[in-house]
Amino acid sequence: MIAVLGLVVGVVAGLLVRPEVPAVVEPYLPIAVVAALDAVFGGLRAMLDGIFDDKVFVVSFLSNVVVAALIVFLGDKLGVGAQLSTGVVVVLGIRIFSNAAAIRRHVFRA
Amino acid sequence: MSEENERPENRLRKELPEEVPARAPEPASEQPAQAPLTGRDRLVKGIWPPRVSRAQLIVALLLFGLGFGLAVQVASNSDSDSALRGARQEDLVRILDELDSRTQRLEDEKQGLEKQSSELQSSSDQAAEARKQTAEKEKQLGILAGTVAAQGPGITMTIEDTKGTVKADMLLDTIQELRAAGAEAIQVDGVRVVAGTYFTDSGKSVAVDGNKINAPYRFKVIGKPQDLEPALNIPGGVVQTLEKEQATVTVEQSDKIVVDALRRAKRPDYARSSSQ
Repeated sequence: MIAVLGLVVGVVAGLLVRPEVPAVVEPYLPIAVVAALDAVFGGLRAMLDGIFDDKVFVVSFLSNVVVAALIVFLGDKLGVGAQLSTGVVVVLGIRIFSNAAAIRRHVFRA
Repeated sequence: MSEENERPENRLRKELPEEVPARAPEPASEQPAQAPLTGRDRLVKGIWPPRVSRAQLIVALLLFGLGFGLAVQVASNSDSDSALRGARQEDLVRILDELDSRTQRLEDEKQGLEKQSSELQSSSDQAAEARKQTAEKEKQLGILAGTVAAQGPGITMTIEDTKGTVKADMLLDTIQELRAAGAEAIQVDGVRVVAGTYFTDSGKSVAVDGNKINAPYRFKVIGKPQDLEPALNIPGGVVQTLEKEQATVTVEQSDKIVVDALRRAKRPDYARSSSQ
């Protein structure tokens, strides 16, 4: 409950404050958001499976974000930033879909 | 009774303990039902009632970060330049080229329009100038044609003719002498003298352009007074000739002569300007 509240408060704060995204972070923010979404879906699935562990969630959340940003950074340095970020988004999207499927099975039993 | 009954029952039912397992399965079946807690139950349990635990707080913090980043990204992405944000490099180069060429085209168009505008401006200036000059010329010509009043330095000449000896040709000579001396506008007794003016004898007096005038004949002449007066007074000139005919001539110089007798502009019936 508090976690959901945290999400809602974060969205509201982001919409209200509307901070200027620093140019350094700008290319990494969308990928980081997608990676964090992946971690959140994974955590939700783990909770429904009954194997949720907050330490694992924190580590996976942070490491997902960092690794995704790192991959984009590396891709930018190699000159394949656009392709690599597309790849990251595709992979994370597949994971999100599989996690969502598991969650769906739990929630709707279908 | 009951005790007695129980005892025999207990005694009788040596095999009763078999029922205990039958009772036992009930709690045993309840336990497995609790243990494989379904995902839905866990979800409901997790959401309600809200518990404040370290894990919940940490997850809330991370989710706050996620929501914040999400909102910021969405907001910055829905700005006006969002169309270019996701564009590829080649697309950006193409768009830039298009914008450049469009700018070039618009610049050319703007230059053309500015040139046109300046041309129109100058032509309208020229037209205004021409109009001004035309108006100026019209006034000058109007003075010559007698359609406008004129004023300026000049002389007033009065010819007293008590005996009626002054004839039309003498007045004509006077006019011609004045013209030769540079007179610019002349009127005789309220009749403007123009290019087509004629003098005729009419009994004892004279008619100018058909208008009969009587002595004394008053000439109002605009011109340079210092030229006009000597021209009239030269030996054998107009004044002497008139005085020979017993007329009295008075000439007065003045700084301001007003010639206000007007002629109506007549449109020629046949002659047309050849300049158009």
